[in-house]
Amino acid sequence: MKKVVERPVDVFEAFNRAKTGPKVSEKEWDFKIIPQSASALKKKYGIKFNEKEVIPTDKDTINSLFLAGMEMLVQNGVYCINTGRVIKVTEEEVKEAIKKAPDKLVIGEGRDAVDMVPRSPQDSRWPIVQGGPTGAPVSEEIFLPMMQSYAQEAIVDCIVSGVMNTVEGNEPFPNSPWEIKGTRMEVALVRQACHKVGRPGMGL
Amino acid sequence: MRASDPHEMSLLNELKVDLGGLQMIAGWIMNGDIIMIEQMPTFGGYAGGLEETTIVDVSSHLIAFTICNADFHLDGPVHVRWGITTAREPLTVAGHCNMAIDANTHLLTSNQYYPLAQPCTEMCLLETAAQAITDTGSGRELMSGSAAAKGVALDYTTGMEARIMGEAAKAVAGMKVETVNEILDKLISLYEGNYRNPPQGKTFQQCYDVVKVTPTPEYVEVYGKAVETLEGLGLKFTF
Repeated sequence: MKKVVERPVDVFEAFNRAKTGPKVSEKEWDFKIIPQSASALKKKYGIKFNEKEVIPTDKDTINSLFLAGMEMLVQNGVYCINTGRVIKVTEEEVKEAIKKAPDKLVIGEGRDAVDMVPRSPQDSRWPIVQGGPTGAPVSEEIFLPMMQSYAQEAIVDCIVSGVMNTVEGNEPFPNSPWEIKGTRMEVALVRQACHKVGRPGMGL
Repeated sequence: MRASDPHEMSLLNELKVDLGGLQMIAGWIMNGDIIMIEQMPTFGGYAGGLEETTIVDVSSHLIAFTICNADFHLDGPVHVRWGITTAREPLTVAGHCNMAIDANTHLLTSNQYYPLAQPCTEMCLLETAAQAITDTGSGRELMSGSAAAKGVALDYTTGMEARIMGEAAKAVAGMKVETVNEILDKLISLYEGNYRNPPQGKTFQQCYDVVKVTPTPEYVEVYGKAVETLEGLGLKFTF
């Protein structure tokens, strides 16, 4: 009988499974389960890359990689570091999740919004350009002009922020009030940079 | 943040998650926000070599959509020795992984940029271009970057690196994969011998007028040189 998914898995169900899944030590996961499974699946599917190709052209290699990646997930699941348990999912649940995933997103607002839609390898449209320091540290004194340097680029469609190194001179320690203020200031200053160059709707 | 801004949560290496991340996602779901799930599989890390790391990378993509309610995935295969995404091996992982996802699903994917060299060097721009060419030629939907100097040095990032990321992508969009591979092989060869002794670059303050927010003539010249190098490899820039 064909397996049918009761309902798509989501983050709430993932949490429930993280409380009840099989117990595994993190060490065993990192040093045994991951390397041994990946190696076994490479052998099972006969995957061997052509060293001259950064992008593969062989369809068998491409499809075998997908099957091996799917099997890696279904066979092992996802490890929750807080509970020390494995979140297990079935192949049907993974396929249901793929079906549910969007094939179009709109990033940003108004005239500055960009459509994120599926591309193919030889698509004449280039990918969306999300410009920014990508989490690299930035001095707070120059945060605004640096973010403007991205927002003003014609080829840039939306922004990825950097991390402000200090907030009013204070280090934004994790779980501290300064961390929250720093995050809020980063967002505010990126918005200001977008406003300065007349692109207030740019996604962040 | 607006609902139309991508909200980012990171998975952990490899195929791991923490409850704090799941809790953040719950809030974003209830708010109707765009959710972007990130994972940077490590070449030479727990998984091992090229093929093994790519298998893990494919799994990471699927996890993002299966248990994390991702709207799109942010990749970033990274080299265990150099800590960069622009070396030949992580580019190969990224290129292969996305072809596998692209051929078998409609999922929206992206990649993030961590070159080794610092701004105002040709190497930095060529590294960034190599990854943009890989991402464009393998069908990704979004490029996120760029965190020059491995993303760890204070103030070593500027808008000029994002410019080359976009312009290089535009210059190869529509090219045959075979041609893209030939270009990449030559392009990566130009910088991969310099990881131990990369050229000295400059901070944002040193290569931009921070009041007028314009790059210095020196950086504009370096940019022009990089474009010439890329044109010599077969890229067709249109400005």
